[in-house]
Amino acid sequence: RFIACPHLARTVQRCLQDGASPGPQPVLLECAPGPGILTRTLLNAGVRVVALESNSAFLPNLQSLENSLDGQLKVIYGDFFRLDPLVTGTVKPPALCSDKLFETMGVAAVPWRADVPVKIFGFLPQKKERNMLWRLLFALYECSSIYRYGRVELNIFMSEKEYKVLTAKPGEAKAYQALTVLWQVGCEIQLLHMEPWSSFVTNLKNGGLAIPKSMWLPNDHLCLVRLTPQQNLFTGSLEPTNSATFIFMVKQCLAKPKSKIADRLNSWSLDNGGKLLSELEIPKNAATRNLYPEDYRRLFEALQNSSMFTETWFHDEVLGSIRNIN
Amino acid sequence: MALLRAAVLGRARLRGGGIPWSVLRNYSSASAKEKARRNAVCERTELLEVLKARGKQLQGSNIPEVTVDKVELPPLGNVTYQDPLRKATAPGPAEERPAPGGRGESPARPRSWAEKLKKEMHMQQLKVEQMSIAAAQLALEEQTKAKPKSKAKANAKAKNSLKIPKAKAAAAWSQSHAGSCSVHAHGKPRVAAVKEGVKAQRPQRVLEDKESSQHKILQQTVQSNLECLLFLQQPEEAERFLLLYHSSPKKRGLLNVDAYNIVMRSWARKGCLQRVNWLLSLLESVGLRPSLDSYAALLECLGRNQSPASAIQRCVQQLKNDGFHVDELFQKCLFEEDEKEKVLRAIRVVQPKYQLPPPPRPQICKSSLLRDFYSRETTVSYPKLDFSLRELQERFQQQLQMELDNTVTVESVEATKPLTPQAIKARKLLATLRSQWRDSILQALQKSKHNMSKLKTRSRYNTLYPYLCLLPDEEYVDIMLQILNTVSPQGESLAVLARELSSKVYNRYITQRKLRSRQLEKVQEVYEGYIHLLAKDGRPDGYLPREYWEKLVAEAGFGPSLSLKDCSWPYVLLMRLGMHMLELLVQAVKVPRNILNPRLEPRLIPVLYHIYSFRSSWQVGLIKPHPVFSQIVSDAAETLLTFNSSSIPMLCPPVPWTSPHFGAFVLNDTRLMRFVDGAFQHQLLLEQCPPVNLHPVLDALNQLGNCAWKINQPVLDIIISIFNDKGNEKLDIPPPVSEAPRPPAAPGNSSTWSKSQKHELLQCKKKAAEMHSLRMDALYKLSIANYVRDKVFWFPHNMDFRGRTYPCPPYFNHLGNDVTRAILLFAEGRPLGPKGLDWLKIHLINLTGLKKKNALQERLEYANEIMEEILDSADHPLTGRKWWMNTDEPWQALACCMEIAKASRSPDPAAYVSHFPVHQDGSCNGLQHYAALGRDLIGAISVNLMPCSVPQDVYSAVAQQVEEFRKKDAAQGVRIAQVLQGFISRKVVKQTVMTVVYGVTRYGGRLQMEKRLKEIDEFPEEYLWEASHYLVKQVFNGIKEMFSATRDIQNWLTESAKLIAQSGRTVEWVTPLGLPIVQPYYRSRSTVLNCSMQHLSVKHASSSQKPDTVKQKNAFPPNFIHSLDSTHMMLTALHCLRQGLTFVSVHDCYWTHALTVDIMNEVCRQQFVALHSEKILQDLSEFMLEKYCSPGREMRAPWQKKLMEQLSSVPKTGEFNLNKVMDSTYFFS
Repeated sequence: RFIACPHLARTVQRCLQDGASPGPQPVLLECAPGPGILTRTLLNAGVRVVALESNSAFLPNLQSLENSLDGQLKVIYGDFFRLDPLVTGTVKPPALCSDKLFETMGVAAVPWRADVPVKIFGFLPQKKERNMLWRLLFALYECSSIYRYGRVELNIFMSEKEYKVLTAKPGEAKAYQALTVLWQVGCEIQLLHMEPWSSFVTNLKNGGLAIPKSMWLPNDHLCLVRLTPQQNLFTGSLEPTNSATFIFMVKQCLAKPKSKIADRLNSWSLDNGGKLLSELEIPKNAATRNLYPEDYRRLFEALQNSSMFTETWFHDEVLGSIRNIN
Repeated sequence: MALLRAAVLGRARLRGGGIPWSVLRNYSSASAKEKARRNAVCERTELLEVLKARGKQLQGSNIPEVTVDKVELPPLGNVTYQDPLRKATAPGPAEERPAPGGRGESPARPRSWAEKLKKEMHMQQLKVEQMSIAAAQLALEEQTKAKPKSKAKANAKAKNSLKIPKAKAAAAWSQSHAGSCSVHAHGKPRVAAVKEGVKAQRPQRVLEDKESSQHKILQQTVQSNLECLLFLQQPEEAERFLLLYHSSPKKRGLLNVDAYNIVMRSWARKGCLQRVNWLLSLLESVGLRPSLDSYAALLECLGRNQSPASAIQRCVQQLKNDGFHVDELFQKCLFEEDEKEKVLRAIRVVQPKYQLPPPPRPQICKSSLLRDFYSRETTVSYPKLDFSLRELQERFQQQLQMELDNTVTVESVEATKPLTPQAIKARKLLATLRSQWRDSILQALQKSKHNMSKLKTRSRYNTLYPYLCLLPDEEYVDIMLQILNTVSPQGESLAVLARELSSKVYNRYITQRKLRSRQLEKVQEVYEGYIHLLAKDGRPDGYLPREYWEKLVAEAGFGPSLSLKDCSWPYVLLMRLGMHMLELLVQAVKVPRNILNPRLEPRLIPVLYHIYSFRSSWQVGLIKPHPVFSQIVSDAAETLLTFNSSSIPMLCPPVPWTSPHFGAFVLNDTRLMRFVDGAFQHQLLLEQCPPVNLHPVLDALNQLGNCAWKINQPVLDIIISIFNDKGNEKLDIPPPVSEAPRPPAAPGNSSTWSKSQKHELLQCKKKAAEMHSLRMDALYKLSIANYVRDKVFWFPHNMDFRGRTYPCPPYFNHLGNDVTRAILLFAEGRPLGPKGLDWLKIHLINLTGLKKKNALQERLEYANEIMEEILDSADHPLTGRKWWMNTDEPWQALACCMEIAKASRSPDPAAYVSHFPVHQDGSCNGLQHYAALGRDLIGAISVNLMPCSVPQDVYSAVAQQVEEFRKKDAAQGVRIAQVLQGFISRKVVKQTVMTVVYGVTRYGGRLQMEKRLKEIDEFPEEYLWEASHYLVKQVFNGIKEMFSATRDIQNWLTESAKLIAQSGRTVEWVTPLGLPIVQPYYRSRSTVLNCSMQHLSVKHASSSQKPDTVKQKNAFPPNFIHSLDSTHMMLTALHCLRQGLTFVSVHDCYWTHALTVDIMNEVCRQQFVALHSEKILQDLSEFMLEKYCSPGREMRAPWQKKLMEQLSSVPKTGEFNLNKVMDSTYFFS
């Protein structure tokens, strides 16, 4: 999916530069620029761009553009959404490793609390939107892959329905999911722009727009969403090493959103959940989908501090589940 | 189905005439609307053309004909684009007339023929009126499909459809129209009913396609509910439940005659004539006709009350008016308890001299393949068992007692280990916990039942309640505790546990019913007579087991009442019941948290917890035991195993199969045909099939089941000693979990571990889980074997839907692995005879896998050469030179070594009595059948259909071929081909070649290859994927090159199946032995069950849904070949029986005594030649043509023509002379 209209390209460019602090701008990694319309717009606006293109058909054009400029553009062959593949063995292009990518880009890792080292722009592939959101989430919580280099800022176009899920409020049936809680805890989510599906061009053979189906949520637009990792994500007792437990806990809780949080805790025999909940001022009869993302974080930290997870079977399950999702 | 065909037809027509799609698309701009409009125009012109043509045709002909014009086909619900023409004509589908749809819409059509069409339609209706409503509707449906040319044909068709059991097909059909039919009972109004039906049929059909599977499940649920209440002897409850449905016009559709009958029977049992009469009137008020069973219930009640003759006379008169005969009552009704006596008493009041009708004359199967087998002229005596009557009688009692107990508790083979003090402590603890749990589960159960019973008074009715009353509460608790013991530490899927729980309840209920209905008494009585046939001191002779059993049943006058009324529970209900019990279990079973660690504060925590496991987007509910519980269980190391009685081999000869419902175990419910839950089409097909056609199959199963077995004790002892030591992976004895690799101890909290540490831990856990399940499997097998070590036992057999036979007991049977096969011996001994010892030696060499390419004589010579090794292995299996351990099948080889040692040391080896089974394997049996089907000369040679001096090996040949390909590629610098140098062997390609005929896909083939390559230690791991991918491609190419006729046949079968499935029907055929087969692959649909613990999605496929084209197509060739190999096996089994041989089979591996190997081989070859001398492919083609495009059917549509062409173009055969097989030594060897 590409941006074909120069007008839209300008809008996106403005959105991307929006809210930037004065001073030197971080480099922008554009994923799958395709014909390069946005690329040119960005270059014209003086942005340093790294273009990551996986379709070799577009490469020559981009490379000639690269050669015509004085280092403002760098073109790399690769697919952002096949970064750090899980299979063992040699990595075959266009799949690539994040450390290679960042080395080529010339970006070094910065501490978590530092400013954004890299901005990334791209479209979530529609067919595996969900999958990608989960993978990015795991990378974020584990500080692995791109997040090893600091709080990388994602500016991505995603379907409206996924945006609705990410920004759902507690209690919203269907929309409020484990993904919601985890993204909201992990990132600041900012809607930059909404654009109808028809404004984009795809390179699919049938020329269709490939709009994912949606039954419950509105899905008329593509949303440009900025996901900036929270600076204070790892300030409490949540750490990259134990974050898998947190993810697992949230997933288990929201697998059945109407159940009561107290029942869930009890069924895992995580000690008397009632007492813990009242300490956190969470009503005892609250359904899991009524808890705020922040509540989950507090709940987890309280459990972690009471070192209950280690006493039980819980961490075994976490280990078991990592492989399945990741 | 008609709908789908219509849909396909509609599309095909569109594409066939006018402007082709592709052209249209090229012209059309992006506007989708415009495209649609153009299509509509195109279709309309096309439609008009068809109408015109039809008009002309009608003018020319005077023969009244059923008009199935395309216009009047039912609304095409699933066609994606809407046909504007149709939309316009049929604003309300309910009003749509059966006569042409587009009336008034197309001015081009001459009016006169529209009239004519209408008239014809009317005539059609008149014809149909003569039949009952249900049948008429069916017939009409049939006719709209079939378009018979003459009246006679129409009637024939209708009669055919009448044969379909009312209860299943017709009733279900008429039910959906109950709303419209209800006013018309019988007599004249039926005409109207038919008209109504015709009207109602079309709009509803769309609906019905969607709902009928749901409908059927609900209907089945209602009936099984009523059956439960009947069993509980609560007629009031049953009636109340019935009225719940009866009084609501919506739900009434779920009731059919059988539902009313059940309630009538429960009143009749109490002698309440009034209620029965009232129900009869209720039944008629909704337009249902009383069935034979209704009259049986009424008569039973009259008989029980000793009613006056006049009342009975009236009833009998009514029965006759409805077209039934009194004799039919005793021939068809399945009576329980004393029902039959009461009915008879009633009949004898009005007809004092009434005699029970004579049993039907036994029919003889007429299959040409079995003409000699069944011919009466030469009665031969079939072999007897080596048991006296008394012995068999005792064994029967033992078996009966075991089945009455439902479960068998077996001392595990680990029991010989000494007990540690820790274990004693843990056992004590477990015992106290269990007794606490027993109490708490009982309490929870009673509480939940109490709550449910309160609900009953209100309008909401809990359907589960009766199912929780069928057994004493304690039995439910027993079942739940049993499940608790089997949950593995890794957890178990919720659905699996639920299914297990409820099926245990179901089995016990069936046992109870058999006891209650006095069915068991009757079986016992017949069995007592039956063993006269088998015992060595029995008199009768010349009967097959089935024939003799049927004769005894007829003589005792039991009629059909030995089988129970069909009372299976729908799958959804089973799941609900299981889930309810599981919930109780999770809630009730608790353990103090500090039980192992006194430092913790005491608090009760649940033993089982419910958790989700995430698999990509999927979440699966699991039940896991708390580690504390797992710890206690593993500490206790309990040595008692509890099995269902059906998991243990039978201790007496199985009850012979006499019908699809009856045979195998004495009490345990066994199906003749195995199938997945919810697939009832096999059962239906078997029921519709004339019983005589099933005789060969039943007789073959009985022959396999009547083989007596015993345990090879010395071998078993050696295996157990290794098992209880540390196991041995190389010898396939799984080591205990304590031998599992331990993760390196990592410091600190698990959350601080690095990724690789976590990964390693995970790997260890996975390995431990695998080892646990392997270990348990072996433990079950060995423990059962140990349990029957001094006994003689039998494996009752049943079959899958292709006719492949399997022993019923699941864990321990002769189909198992090398270990289990090695501990089985025939109970019957035969002297070795002159060639027996040689056969044993050849068999041993076969088991080693060493001299595969050598002639039999060479194998024998080799065996003689290494006699010293053989004797050493036999004498010092664990301390000697251990030659046997390095063979393909070490345990069977060891057993064989021991047998050879004993035989050769006996004074006269020829007289040595051997119990040892000698195997003869088909060499790539699937390809053998293909090669014979196609008379493919090259293929036939490579799979040993041609006599050769040395055995041909198709696997080596393929491996060679692949190696050649590889060399070529390697020379051209293909990297992976170079890597594979030296790794391509027979073993690597074998599995894939073997399964290619059975339709293995590239995907599956690659996985097989990967497994083989992984076994080679030197193979570099990083190339696994690429190498396996490359290899599977080359193997496929190799086979293509070598077997050309096979490919033609395979393609023909695939293509035929594809077209059939695309026409909306499932692929069906009949084996040369007369077994009807249907492929049960449908697009499945899932229902979500709301259970309080978790929502459960239950997948079910049913015949009312569309077939799954891909599966139908891909599975047809292998299924067809399997149906042939099973036919060959059954033919061999039957003819071996006639020769007095002991015979069993593991699919294409046939076993017999060493003495009789030569005879078996001859029979095997004869039967192969006989089987393939039949025109198998032609017969198949004819059968399918008849079934899928019978001549009366519409032939204009291109797809139909295509199907017909496809089905009639049977692949050509080569010039292989089939009779050569008779002399081929290595055909089976």
